[in-house]
Amino acid sequence: MLGCYDFCGYYEATFQWLEERGGEELLHEYWLEAISKDSQRHARDLILGRGADGMMEYWGHTLNEESPDQGFSMSREGDVVRIDMHDCPSKGFLLRNGLEQYRDYCDHCIGWIGPLMKDAGYVIHHEHNHCGQCWWEFHKAENPSSPSDIGKLAKKDVRLTEDWKEHCKKLDAFFNAQSVLEKKTEP
Amino acid sequence: MPNFPLPYTDTKPQGAADFYFAINATFRFLYERLGRKAWIAYLEHLARGYFRPVNQAWQRGGLPSVASYWKAFFDAEPGGDVKVRASPDEVVIEVRECPAIAHLRRSGRAIVPYYCEHCAILGAARAAEAGFSMNLFGGNGSCRHVYRRAGELPPQNPADIKEVVPC
Repeated sequence: MLGCYDFCGYYEATFQWLEERGGEELLHEYWLEAISKDSQRHARDLILGRGADGMMEYWGHTLNEESPDQGFSMSREGDVVRIDMHDCPSKGFLLRNGLEQYRDYCDHCIGWIGPLMKDAGYVIHHEHNHCGQCWWEFHKAENPSSPSDIGKLAKKDVRLTEDWKEHCKKLDAFFNAQSVLEKKTEP
Repeated sequence: MPNFPLPYTDTKPQGAADFYFAINATFRFLYERLGRKAWIAYLEHLARGYFRPVNQAWQRGGLPSVASYWKAFFDAEPGGDVKVRASPDEVVIEVRECPAIAHLRRSGRAIVPYYCEHCAILGAARAAEAGFSMNLFGGNGSCRHVYRRAGELPPQNPADIKEVVPC
């Protein structure tokens, strides 16, 4: 039986299997059809129906379930929602267990969240450092603004932490994005 | 490998049940997009690759390690009602309530009818790697997994596996 305790381990192996079988195109189709539209339909219903309120409810529940130690924080200012991930439970599981089949596990998040936000009328600012830290801002697509200044929107802004500074040698960044294909790698 | 019977460990004692949504959705995608043979190939790939540390532990530790793995496995799954019985010749896992099927049903998800087959495909492939044989009986929310030494069980009879039906 496939269980949920070590789900992230074989989920990550699934990305590699799919890419070997059908290339990046098949993997992105999987994130869209299987994850964004099927598995995470509860997120889709909440966010398409209630916008920023739905985001707060969805991630408030799911991050608490996946990360009871509160390795994250959520902030909101009007229609802008921000998530700071200090200790990603999912990537952390992979790092602790030495699991790495696919080249960038973190891409799966924007792989399923990007199309959802596009349908909900939002754009995404996001960076991840491949070490279990990332941040997200969701802005209305009709009125997008730049990412918030460091520490302005969130007291627990991950960009203020030593972990972020230490591990930000190679950041994957997305600005005003709605798809995993819009990645910019820094530096 | 540590003494802990699960090869991959987390900081929390149990997994998040909503991941069952993704397992079900992944099966649906692979089966409908790539076909049944590809879905089986995917499960066998995981069985021989991702689960290699478990298979190796089973090979080293024999049936007692099969039993201790499944006890730890179901302890780490949220919900469900499962008993693991071990004797010198076999390990029987009595799944009175499957945690995955129960959570998917409670959440109103459309479960793929072949969901329970994955336990047989994965279980038999992992057992074969470790020198055992495995059969599954039942499904649709409750079932029985039997592990014995290689050659002591017949090939899986597909008729012994129930489809998942909508409630």
